[in-house]
Amino acid sequence: MIHNTKCECGHQNPTGTVLCESCGKPLVEDLPLDTPLEMRYDGAARRSQKQNPAVIDRVWNFFSSVKIAIWLIILTLIGAAVGTIYPQESTFINLDDPASYYKETYGTSGAIYQALGFSRTYESWWFIGLLVMIGTSLVICSLDRVLPLYKALSKQQVRKHMSFLTRQQTVLETDIAADPEKWVADFGAQLKRKRYRVWTDGTALLAEKNRFSRWGPYINHIGLIVFLLAVLGRSVPAWHMDQYVGIDEHQVKQIPGTDYYIGNDKFTVEYYKDEELPDKLKGTARAKLYQTQATLYACTQYCNDDPLHDPVLKPVESHAIEVNSPLEYKGLKLYQYNFEEKVRLIEVKPMLLDTVSGKSYGPFDLKMSDPAEKSQAGPYTLTLRDVYPDFGLDEEGRPMTKSRDFNNPAFVFRITGPDVDEKGELYIYFPMPSASDKGVQQQINASFKKLGSNTGRFNFQVGKMENVTFSQYTTFLNVRVDRAMPYVWVGAGISMIGLVMGFYWHHRRIWLRIDGGRLTLGAHTNKNTYGIRNETASALAKVGIVVDPKALDNRRNTR
Amino acid sequence: MFKTGALGVSLRIRYFRYNGRKGAGGDKVKRYRKPIQYIILAVVLLVGGYAIGQSFLSPNKALKPGSDAPAFELLGLDGQTHTLDSYKGKPLVVNFWGTFCPPCRNEMPALQAQYDKWKNTDVQLIGINLSEDRVSVGSFLRSYDINFPVLLDKNKKTEKKYGLKEYPTTFFISADGKIKDIVIGGPMSEETIESHIKRLLGTD
Repeated sequence: MIHNTKCECGHQNPTGTVLCESCGKPLVEDLPLDTPLEMRYDGAARRSQKQNPAVIDRVWNFFSSVKIAIWLIILTLIGAAVGTIYPQESTFINLDDPASYYKETYGTSGAIYQALGFSRTYESWWFIGLLVMIGTSLVICSLDRVLPLYKALSKQQVRKHMSFLTRQQTVLETDIAADPEKWVADFGAQLKRKRYRVWTDGTALLAEKNRFSRWGPYINHIGLIVFLLAVLGRSVPAWHMDQYVGIDEHQVKQIPGTDYYIGNDKFTVEYYKDEELPDKLKGTARAKLYQTQATLYACTQYCNDDPLHDPVLKPVESHAIEVNSPLEYKGLKLYQYNFEEKVRLIEVKPMLLDTVSGKSYGPFDLKMSDPAEKSQAGPYTLTLRDVYPDFGLDEEGRPMTKSRDFNNPAFVFRITGPDVDEKGELYIYFPMPSASDKGVQQQINASFKKLGSNTGRFNFQVGKMENVTFSQYTTFLNVRVDRAMPYVWVGAGISMIGLVMGFYWHHRRIWLRIDGGRLTLGAHTNKNTYGIRNETASALAKVGIVVDPKALDNRRNTR
Repeated sequence: MFKTGALGVSLRIRYFRYNGRKGAGGDKVKRYRKPIQYIILAVVLLVGGYAIGQSFLSPNKALKPGSDAPAFELLGLDGQTHTLDSYKGKPLVVNFWGTFCPPCRNEMPALQAQYDKWKNTDVQLIGINLSEDRVSVGSFLRSYDINFPVLLDKNKKTEKKYGLKEYPTTFFISADGKIKDIVIGGPMSEETIESHIKRLLGTD
């Protein structure tokens, strides 16, 4: 469909123009002649509309369509909704085999759901693709509309075509007895008092206020684009992290994927006393406080898993982490997530006891993880022969460790020194103070004696509690990095400014012309037509034309 | 009267000034329109391509036959540093094991026998211990008479890189650094190990 785009006023309009850019005469006659005009974008042609589009123009025009944008939004909404049917895989801390988990937990539908990839909806290529397309559409739709609108609004003609005026939603046609130029000046003065900006062109007038509210939707779109880019920015690895670490007291652990280490200096849990609880909760353990006294370390040397050196750590931050009070350091946030009560030895300082002479030597340091291979207790040297972090026996009754955790550690030492056979004496030592462990220790040492490996002369003894370091609780911390968050807020803020601009101010315009003593007035607003009719009627009343605001409603008149 | 006239004049001047500029301005806008379109579409392709590309990189990519063996650099019980690269060009058997895992302990003699059998060929066989301390690893190997090279993982890092879920797990890596077979669980018999090594050599 090719329209002659030249208006009768002599202005050459771009393809797709609805209302002449200069005089406002309707150019596209697809509506009945007496209905109100389509005033969107002031009738300006959408940018980039062409008669012979090339491939790139077709792509551009695809994204420039609001209809397409709405479909993209609907598809995204459906996708996002489907993603909430079952939990997303990313919400599990430890999910080794998602396929079987979904099948076991949610049945066949869960298996299908997982197989189709809906359990990873928000990270899926198609969902992110939709977001990218919405973003593109936002940019292109806005650009194609805001530029023509800006041009149309900044070069408005004061004298408009008659059919432009009579086909507004608010219309008045009446005879004027007074001098036309004086009447226009008086009416203009009245409109100025209502904070309109007024231009006159002889006996024609244009009054306008709150034009800036027209930019609200576009500012809103800019905010949404910033928001979307920030959300997409979270896929940059350094911008986003969400993981969990479990740390025993007195333990320092690397935060995976970073050069930071986190140490749990002390974990505290306090429960409410019975008198503090309401009746129905009495006798239950209700936590009052979880607190991890934590220290964050930065690695300064040997950070890349150097096999020969331990990393060099420097404490950079300390904080008592509580719920809603994370440790924060350079965008890294550590939140209290969970805890577990589990007693684990960290280090003991036992004395070596010579049962023959009754003398004791030491104490010597015995760390559970990475114990020293040689220790010195008085004149005696203890060489570590074997470590069993979680002592047990294998099928053939030989000692072995049941796991890598220090649940029930046992150490075998060879003791050498004065008055000891040259090849030394073998002793096993269980640092845990449980009776059964001590029994096993005696049994094994007795069997060593039988084999001639020791004389039964030595024993180990931890005197005071201060010689024992242990962890009572394992704390679980949620480690988060979200560098996109400030941009998300900025985007949301800009978006809100745009919404407020567009919602709370209304762009209002009044055009009029007097031809041979007859006044033709048309007024337009994009929202609240009651408001503009009242405002027009009240200004008219001040210059002697009393008219009921309702009578100005063009839509009512035509019915 | 005068005021209205003045307004009218000023408006007319504005309008004319606008008209005067119009030709040049319009051409300018048109001239830049195409490049702006290209720039916007290029940015969309770039940002969108990156975002969508990222979504294809699934976070927990399980190793499977055909994957590249993840690199490691670990201290051996011999006090030397061993890297995966140092075995490049030779078929390699990597056995992850720990003294706390009975099937791992039970397959050690079979691995040692196979190590002895292939020792004088290109075929390499190593064990990676599951982050235990060197004293207990050393004493275990002594008591089992094991002398094939054993490397010590630290803080479960290599184990995580290889995505271990069960112990023992043995990777058969061909000379080009690609994983050929993965045997999860154990103990493996000597025959099983041998048949996998033969597959590595392409003689089976």
